[in-house]
Amino acid sequence: MSKPSDLTYDAVVIGAGHNGLAAATTLARQGKSVCVIESRDGIGGMARNAAIAPGVVAPKMAHLLYNLNPKTLKELGITAPKSVSLPTVSLADDGRHVVIQGDLVIYADGSAHPEAATFAALHKRLTKFAALLGQMSLKTPPSLAGGLMDMATLQELAGLAKLGIGLKRMGKKDMREFLRILLSNAYDLILDDFADAPLAGMLAADAVRGAYAGPRSPGTVFSMMYRLGNGGDVRLPMGGMGAVADAFANAAKLAGCDIRTGCGVAQVIVENDTARGVILADGSVINARSVLSSIGAFQTMQMAGVQHYDTEAVRRLRNLRNKGTVAKVNLVLSGAPDFVGLDAKLTAGRLLIATSATYVERAFNPVKYGDMSNAPVIEAVIPSLSDPSLCSDGQHILSANVQYVPYALAGGWTPAARQKLLELTLDRLEVYAPGLGRLVTHSEVLTPLDIETQTGAPGGHWHHAEMGIDQILTLRPVNGMARYGFGIAGYYLCGASAHPGGDVMGTAGRNAARQLLKDGVLA
Amino acid sequence: MGKHSSYDAIVAGAGHNGLTTACYLAKAGLKVLVVEKNDWIGGAAVSRSLHDGWTYSNCSYVCSLLRREIVRDLELPRFGLQVIPYEGGASFTKDGDYFAYMSDHDALRREIARHSSKDVDAYERFSQTVIRQCRFIRPFLLRNAPDPTSLKPRDISELLFLVKQAHGLGAKELGETLRFWSMSIGDFLDEHFETDLIKTHIAGAGIIGTGLGVYSPGTAYVLLHHYMGDVDGAIGAWGFARGGMGAISNALGAAFEEAGGEIVMGSGVDKFLVKGGKAVGVALENGDTYYAPIIASNMDVKRTFLKHMDQGVLPADFTKAVERFKIRGSSGKLNIALDSLPKFPAAPEGATFMRGDLHCSASLNELERAYDDWKEGYWSKDPYFDLLIPSQIDPTMAPQGKHMMTVFVQYAPYDLNVDGVRSGENWNDATRKAFADCVFDKIEQGCPDIRKHVVHAEVRSPWDIENEVGLTEGNIFQGELTFDQLLFNRPIPGYAQYDTPIDGMYIVGSSAHPGGGVMAAPGANAAREILRTIGKGKLMPKFAA
Repeated sequence: MSKPSDLTYDAVVIGAGHNGLAAATTLARQGKSVCVIESRDGIGGMARNAAIAPGVVAPKMAHLLYNLNPKTLKELGITAPKSVSLPTVSLADDGRHVVIQGDLVIYADGSAHPEAATFAALHKRLTKFAALLGQMSLKTPPSLAGGLMDMATLQELAGLAKLGIGLKRMGKKDMREFLRILLSNAYDLILDDFADAPLAGMLAADAVRGAYAGPRSPGTVFSMMYRLGNGGDVRLPMGGMGAVADAFANAAKLAGCDIRTGCGVAQVIVENDTARGVILADGSVINARSVLSSIGAFQTMQMAGVQHYDTEAVRRLRNLRNKGTVAKVNLVLSGAPDFVGLDAKLTAGRLLIATSATYVERAFNPVKYGDMSNAPVIEAVIPSLSDPSLCSDGQHILSANVQYVPYALAGGWTPAARQKLLELTLDRLEVYAPGLGRLVTHSEVLTPLDIETQTGAPGGHWHHAEMGIDQILTLRPVNGMARYGFGIAGYYLCGASAHPGGDVMGTAGRNAARQLLKDGVLA
Repeated sequence: MGKHSSYDAIVAGAGHNGLTTACYLAKAGLKVLVVEKNDWIGGAAVSRSLHDGWTYSNCSYVCSLLRREIVRDLELPRFGLQVIPYEGGASFTKDGDYFAYMSDHDALRREIARHSSKDVDAYERFSQTVIRQCRFIRPFLLRNAPDPTSLKPRDISELLFLVKQAHGLGAKELGETLRFWSMSIGDFLDEHFETDLIKTHIAGAGIIGTGLGVYSPGTAYVLLHHYMGDVDGAIGAWGFARGGMGAISNALGAAFEEAGGEIVMGSGVDKFLVKGGKAVGVALENGDTYYAPIIASNMDVKRTFLKHMDQGVLPADFTKAVERFKIRGSSGKLNIALDSLPKFPAAPEGATFMRGDLHCSASLNELERAYDDWKEGYWSKDPYFDLLIPSQIDPTMAPQGKHMMTVFVQYAPYDLNVDGVRSGENWNDATRKAFADCVFDKIEQGCPDIRKHVVHAEVRSPWDIENEVGLTEGNIFQGELTFDQLLFNRPIPGYAQYDTPIDGMYIVGSSAHPGGGVMAAPGANAAREILRTIGKGKLMPKFAA
């Protein structure tokens, strides 16, 4: 081992995505010395901007905000960039596009939607349930270590008890409904009350966003509620998602963190089953009293060395479900596109191609066998319509999440396969915006495999690990390792594969750092 | 005008659960009448002679889940019930190989090793987990599902029982249990085994009877539902009821009649009679009316409340909840008379595993694709089936030297899609024949001569099963076994303890906890609830937990 430098940090954080930065800031604001190490040249992970053509700044991957928790922001001293709330437009084949904003639904032409009252009722019910579940997102998942009769465990379960009390307060009827639908599938919940049309399609698509699941898969009502954790507002940050990442980084710097980019961690130093620092790719050593990792869970284990883990932990982490299903397609347009039946305000909204819940389920089928969907679910946004600073010379950027696209495509991700994915996406968009293809001057296709390569997110999965019922709470990332501490003293998992999971919100990082402090690692 | 008579209790439907409830009520001294629409008893546990000399168990076809506590308590063997275990089973591939499951542990290890040495160890881990999960769940089968929203002492004590059982598991096991219950059988098998054929052989039990695919979360639990039974105490073992599944119903019927009960066959319930929020009787289709203050419906909840009761007497919320209760037809059945024992050339001559469950599916993706077809309203082009030839073990099923074959097919839709129109009415002789042809094509993969041996075949679509047996959509469980329809959610949240909004009216069939399979647990649990409600709880035997 190379000679250690004199400097010893209280903590080294691996990865400068929003979770890594949130963990670092949490510690630094408690007076700890923290160094964040990022292998890439810039910070931000999946929440980055990229200049993909002259005069055009695109949201490289993530493009919208759902779940930023105001409590977390305040706690970390983050000044979030200005953002605008976007309406969602669920595009219809017959031109009767449906506009959803909050709990309101109308047709794009301004006429009333017959299911508006039903939607408002469902939205209210789910938001109420989601707020209840949201209480758990800011806490470490309860340990079951002492069994259910143990006092310490019971204290931990007090959080759950609070949930129980919240449930009781809702009244018997709501509580029963909550317990019925909690583990249920979105498809049935939606079609019990709605005709299978674009409104149902929007609900179904949002239930499976980023997931390796179709709306008929049990557990998708949970993911539907997860999205509504902070009310379900869809927000577009001004200055792109990069501005959000910058805000996280600025808070970290303000709190005194060092952030080093361009040279990643090669290995975590472990002595006497305790994390002591990291060795960088260039061989330099950074000593630290603790190490937090925001990369994938399995990769976090590999970084410390598999030999430190028992075979069962290795097996569990290897079997973590993390197959990404979403590709990102960024299109540079020479001018603003014209979506038939949408005015300028709606064209700037979140545009959804999910014409029915059945459409979404059908889109999921091929990915199970390693094929991409021929009629994918698309979530598109043209951020430059709301934020002209992103593009010059009348250009625009159309940012599209295309689902379902397999991580491991049968036959591999050849140039031809990428071209096919691009054409599929354009074909679908052209249905609603004829002539859009002619406006395209430059395009970028990021398959789940590319997302993995460029961000390190295992499987290119947005949440680093599928948000299935078998991989949440006490089971996230795996049974027995859900409390951030990662098998080795002073070694913590602080990325999206830890509770409460993904979305650009930084909660996993914040929770991990707090647990590290609570465990007395730096005492 | 028909007859009018009064009883203490009337049970609508002589399925195995209805008969079980009837037995316990009669043994407690009640004057009990069972009414049955068909000219025979048994519901979906029947033995029928549809071709001269052959007996078909033409709905349910194998036995394991029937609670032994009930068998003993009602002395069913004295009334002719004999369960003969069968050993093993096999899955045949297109290229002439097979995987055989054998109950002899060493033989099984050798057979697994023939496919993969790694999978030998994987199997040990797999079976350990499954047995542990079975042990955990079995004590709950003969208990009420606690209502978590209730503060009644009974519910709290049931919840405490649950906590106590969970506590006994220890931390890691508790986590594993939560995980197991929420996983797909496909993911669960993928993390254990490397051989697709072995995975596929096991996975079938996770989808049989459900509207889910092998990769749908929750199917690992369904596997449990097929593994938690036993034959003579051997957990997970399956057997044939000698003389067909009707032997179970007939034994229950005989026990009931010995206890003084009365069965009226040949006319079904037209209407459940309700007066002032209380159940008062049943009006039959033939015009006969019978009165009793206790009415137990063995029909599923949809049939009971949406077809045979005036809507005005039910709370609107309740009706809506019944409407959204999911009962999906997903399986069909072929019952076949054979002129001799057909050969499966890949299997060694006289192999004992041939007496068990046989399949021709070789990959999990094949099973998942079969599910995708069903979602669109088609029967699976490449179907999964569970094929058995019970006459090898039970010679009473066919004339000497001849054989009887039962083929359970997953998936077949209730509302068949023909030219974009989905309807049960699309099931006719032509579509039934096409469906059977598709299944025979697949059987030929393991048994090329099968068609030459067929003397008679009965083809049953979900539509046919509904019309004959009275199961909504022909669903074998009287309702999907998904989380939203299990335990305190089954069948309706707030009415998960066999009660209904109508005083004196009870649900005693598989729509109720713990669900389907020829288990008789819902029937026995319901009887306990009924007797408790009328102050005769002490007359119900206590089953050991």
